[in-house]
Amino acid sequence: MSTVTHTDGEELLRVEGLTVAFGDDPGIEVVKDLSFSIKAGRTLGVVGESGSGKSMSSLAVMGLLPPEARASGSIRFDNEELIGRSNRSLRPLRGERMAMVFQDPLSSLNPYYTVGAQIVEAYRAHRRSRPADARRVAIEAMERVSIRDAGRRFDHYPHQFSGGMRQRIMIAMALVCEPDLIIADEPTTALDVTVQAEILELLRGLQRDTGIGMLFITHDLAVVSEVAHDVLVMRGGREVESGAAERIFSEPADPYTRRLLDATPRIDDVQEVAS
Amino acid sequence: MISYTARRLASAAGVLFAVVLFTFVVFFVLTPDPALSICGQTCTPERILDIRTRLGLEDPFFVQFWTFLSGIFVGRSYGEGATAIVCNAPCFGYSFQTRQPVLDMITDRLPVTLTVAIGAAILWLIVGIAAGVVSAVRAGSWWDRASMGLALGGIALPNYFVALILQWVLVVKLEILPFPIVVPFTEDPVRWFQAYLMPWIVLALMYAAMYARMTRANVLETLSEDYVRTARAKGLPEGQLIVKHALRPALTPVATLFGMDFAALLGGALITETVFGLNGVGKLAYDAIGTNDQPVIMGVALLAGIAVVLMNIVVDLIYPLLDPRMRKGTH
Repeated sequence: MSTVTHTDGEELLRVEGLTVAFGDDPGIEVVKDLSFSIKAGRTLGVVGESGSGKSMSSLAVMGLLPPEARASGSIRFDNEELIGRSNRSLRPLRGERMAMVFQDPLSSLNPYYTVGAQIVEAYRAHRRSRPADARRVAIEAMERVSIRDAGRRFDHYPHQFSGGMRQRIMIAMALVCEPDLIIADEPTTALDVTVQAEILELLRGLQRDTGIGMLFITHDLAVVSEVAHDVLVMRGGREVESGAAERIFSEPADPYTRRLLDATPRIDDVQEVAS
Repeated sequence: MISYTARRLASAAGVLFAVVLFTFVVFFVLTPDPALSICGQTCTPERILDIRTRLGLEDPFFVQFWTFLSGIFVGRSYGEGATAIVCNAPCFGYSFQTRQPVLDMITDRLPVTLTVAIGAAILWLIVGIAAGVVSAVRAGSWWDRASMGLALGGIALPNYFVALILQWVLVVKLEILPFPIVVPFTEDPVRWFQAYLMPWIVLALMYAAMYARMTRANVLETLSEDYVRTARAKGLPEGQLIVKHALRPALTPVATLFGMDFAALLGGALITETVFGLNGVGKLAYDAIGTNDQPVIMGVALLAGIAVVLMNIVVDLIYPLLDPRMRKGTH
């Protein structure tokens, strides 16, 4: 990636008092009064069990909530308020300034188009370019996520790739317009453990090179400890506690966080048993 | 891919054989006296006897069927010697009433039927798919309710009724269209178009209604796919998103259905052609039923069956073009 548009530490996203509700007012609130911020070059890990509202918060940031959901509060991206903006007015931001990687790379890629065509599409949604140039950019993006023989793989369909390779394609697609913020919603959950480690390493490396800000959503504390600088623990749509990753892992303040940590198998445990 | 094609062709040949056998059994075995039926209304005992000999109706079933089947590939003759009637291959029967091979009678009428079918198909694909997509995207809106209500009406109303209403309104009351008289396209394109316009609309109405409902259901399904959410997250314009990511996958089953529907129409749109007095294959069959010209009825039924089976193969063979996951060698 050639350009770094933000310097490390500059605030990209500030969410304040975010509430997401379904149904008639007041309805069922799946996210309640949530606040967090993400800086360039930093990763915020949002952790919680399923149904804790972590995915809904990320969809709210992208403006991709289901039509029956309502978001209130404030989401400021690069000092611009996003709440209340129309689908149409959010379009130039999506993919260009903030991009998203989803959990299941097979269902998230359209089986009817080659992966190359889908990456090109992401690029040309925001940049005017000749087909040949767009193709070159897409192949470069595929090479950046370590897809070997990218020129040939460009013309392959999603079903011709393994799970880990598909997720690399999703990441290449998310990064092709060089966004400032990437939202990764359980990006490694559907993958094998070894492939998980590769994808995490890839994301870390890309962040190091580009200074991109990352919102990383997972139910897996072990994964969060690998990638996140800051951690936000959620339960029942609310924040349980948040802070620097080291602090959360070494001295969790809330009993719920402590229980989550205790429930996570750790490499050192295994070593203790073995020794 | 080659073995897949070969397997499909082999099974299609089996189905075609079954179609021919079934048609033959219905008309020659289950009919009490085929010679009498073939002879028609104005008939003398001598003529019946003549037809009986010419058809070889005294022969065993297998001999008769073999003569009929081989006639399709190498032609046959009815009777022997100087009075023999020759029916060149492919022979699908001979009308003793009109003294013509059935295939000639059908091919004479085919251009009209093709004109009706192709025009209607274009109309129903455009209207049906467009209405279905808009309904799916605006599901629950007044447009959705109105067009789906209309579609239900389109399916429910018998097309002879719609044809008569349309004629009465457009030709008699409003005088928008002249009385439809078919002229060759080369002679007067405008009159030609005016003559076919109502048959197209009537025939397309029912199909458009079915295709709209099917497209709507399929698009609603694809709209909830994860890859549509991905496309939205990429920032694609809504139109591109709907056409490329929601409509394209939804059209594969529609294309399959279209192959069958179109092939079935080649056997003639019987009611539409009859109501509008178009001399197509459907009208031919209708008239043959009136004059009890059995070989013609049988020929039309047989060719219609063959058209559907052949179209079925075509659809199967082009399916991999429609869905990349079906392509061999891409796994």
